[in-house]
Amino acid sequence: MDRPSGSRLITAALAVVVGLVLADSSVVVLALPEIYRQLDVSVSAVAWVLIAFNLVLACAAVPFAFVARRTGAARSASLGLVVFAAGSVGCAASGAIAPLIASRCVQALGGAAAVTSVLELMPPALGSERRAATLWATAGALGAALGPAAGGALTQLVSWESIFWVQVPVALVLLATLLPSVRRERGAAEVLAEPVPAGRPHLAANLALCLVSAALAAALFLIVLLLIEGWRHSPIAAAIAVSAMPAAALASRPLARTVADGRARAIAGAVLVAGGLAGLGLLPRASIVATLPSQLLVGVGLGLVLSALTEAALEGRAPQAIHGGWTLTARHAGVVLGLLVLTPVFTSDLVHERSAAEQAGTAALLDSPLPPLDKIDLAGRLHDVLATQHGKVPVIGAAFRPLPSDPIERRRTLSLEATMQDQLDRAATHAFSASFLIASGFALAALAGLALARARIEL
Amino acid sequence: MSARTLVRVSIAAAVALVVVSLALGGASYAPRAIADPCQPRPVASPSGTAELAQQLTLSALDGAACDLHTSRETLALALASPAGRRRFARDPRLGSALRAGLVRAIDDAGRAGEIPGPVADVLSAVASRLPADQLVGAVRNAGGLLDRAQGVLGPLAQILGGL
Repeated sequence: MDRPSGSRLITAALAVVVGLVLADSSVVVLALPEIYRQLDVSVSAVAWVLIAFNLVLACAAVPFAFVARRTGAARSASLGLVVFAAGSVGCAASGAIAPLIASRCVQALGGAAAVTSVLELMPPALGSERRAATLWATAGALGAALGPAAGGALTQLVSWESIFWVQVPVALVLLATLLPSVRRERGAAEVLAEPVPAGRPHLAANLALCLVSAALAAALFLIVLLLIEGWRHSPIAAAIAVSAMPAAALASRPLARTVADGRARAIAGAVLVAGGLAGLGLLPRASIVATLPSQLLVGVGLGLVLSALTEAALEGRAPQAIHGGWTLTARHAGVVLGLLVLTPVFTSDLVHERSAAEQAGTAALLDSPLPPLDKIDLAGRLHDVLATQHGKVPVIGAAFRPLPSDPIERRRTLSLEATMQDQLDRAATHAFSASFLIASGFALAALAGLALARARIEL
Repeated sequence: MSARTLVRVSIAAAVALVVVSLALGGASYAPRAIADPCQPRPVASPSGTAELAQQLTLSALDGAACDLHTSRETLALALASPAGRRRFARDPRLGSALRAGLVRAIDDAGRAGEIPGPVADVLSAVASRLPADQLVGAVRNAGGLLDRAQGVLGPLAQILGGL
C-alpha cells in the first residue's frame, strides 16, 4: 500500500528518534577511556556514565508512557526531544564527572518520553500496529548496535564531547518534523481523553528481553574494550570492526520476514547470540578477523530476537506506548544487569591476567638465549618505548629495533619480541573470556525462559 | 524458510562456531603457565663465562624461589627493585632460601658438567654452611649489581603492568 510522502517522512523521523535515543545507551562506550583520562576519575565512576543512562531509561519508560497517554504522544515526544537535547548540551559542556552523569540522567528522562511516545505515533503513520512494533524494535536495536561505532569515530576524529554536540541539532531537526503533529494533536481532543486501562505486561517476552539485553551489553561493550584497550586498535578501527554486528542485524531482516513464527525467530536469535558470545569467549587468537564469525552470529541473532520479543510483548496489547515502555524497561534493566554483573568479573580477571602476563613475560626474558648484555641493552630500549605508551597495553616492537646484524642474534631477538607480544595479547584476550561466557549464559537463560513459557504463551 | 529449519540452522551455526573455536585452541589461549621452580629445568651448554654466570643465577633463583614457595619470576621481579629487595630482606626465610639457591645453582652446574663433580661437591658443602645473615646482608648491600638487573626486569614489569 502506498503511503503519502509526508507520512513516510514522519515515519522515518520517528524511527530516527528511536535510533538516536537508544544509540545513547551504548554511544559513549568507546569514549570511556578518553573520559576516564580527561576527567581524572576512577573506572567505576566512569562506568556510571553508561549505567546511569540505562538505569534512568529503565525506570522512567513506563511512567512517561502514562504521561504520553495523558498529554498527547506528539507533545510528549516533542518535550522529550527538547529535554534530551538539553541533556546532550549538559553532557558536552560538563567538565567533571558529576555534572556529566547528572546530564546523562536528564538525557535518559527526555529519551524515555520521546521513545515511548513514538510508539503511539507510529501505527497511524504506518497503518499497522504490527509493522509499527517491528520498525520501533528494529530502529532501537540498530541504534544501540551502531552507537559504539559512531561514538568511537567521533571520539577519535573530534572529541568525546562531540558525541553529545552532534545529537543536539539532530534532536532539533526531529523536533521540527514533529511540530505539525503537535499542532494537529491540539485540535483533536479525543486523543488526549479516555485513558485506556493498560493490561499486564507480557512477562515471558519482557523477561527474555531483559536477559538477551544483558547478553548484548557484553557484545557491544566488552568487544570494543577488547579491541581498543586490549589489542590497541584505534577507536575508528574498532568502530569499523564492530560495524559487522549492525550490518549482520540489517542483513537478517529479509530472513526474519520469511519466518512468521515469532517464537522460532526468538529462539533462533537467542541461540545465535549465545553461540556468538561463546565464540568471543573462546577466541583462538588476538585478531579482528577471529572475532568476525562471532560478531556475525551475534548480529543476526540480535536482528531476530529483539524484534520477535518486542513484537510478542506488544502484540494485541493496548496502549502500545505503555507496553512499549515495559519493553524499554526490560531492555535497559538488562543492560544495567549485564554491566553490573560483568564489570566486576572483567576487572577482577584483568588483575589476574596482568599478573599472569607479568610472570610469563619475565619467564620469556629470563629464558631467552640472548647474551646477558644484549638483554640489558634491550631493557633500556624497552624503557624508552614505555615512556611514550604509559598506562596502556604496549606495542613493544619499536624497542627491538634496530635488529642485531648477526643472523642468529637477529632471529633470537625477533623470537623474544614475538613471544613477549604474544603473552600480552593472550593475557588481554583471556581477561575478557569469562565475561563473554557469562554473557552467553544470559542468552541461554533467556532461551530457557522461552522454553518454559512454551506451553501457555504464544510468542 | 520454515520455523523449524531456522531454529535448526541457528543451533548448527552456534555449535559449529564453538567447536571450531575449541579446535583452534580457544580454550587454552592464555598466558603461558609458569614452570615449577622446584623441578629441574633443561640446561643448555653455556658458550662463555657470561652465559655460565647467567645459568648459575637462574638456577639460584629457582632454588631460592622453591624454598620460599613462590615462582622464579616473582622473586626475580621483586629482587629487581629496591623496594622489593627491602621487603624480601625483612623475610626471616630469606637467608635459608638464598642458601638453598646457591646449593641448587652449584648442583645444577655439576649435573650439567659445567663444574667438575668433586669441585661441585665441595662448593655445595661450603654453600650449605654459609651463615644466613651474611647472605641477607649481601643482598641488602648488592644495590649496584641488582640495580643492573633492574635494568632488565624493571621495564618488563612496567610493560606488563600496563595491561
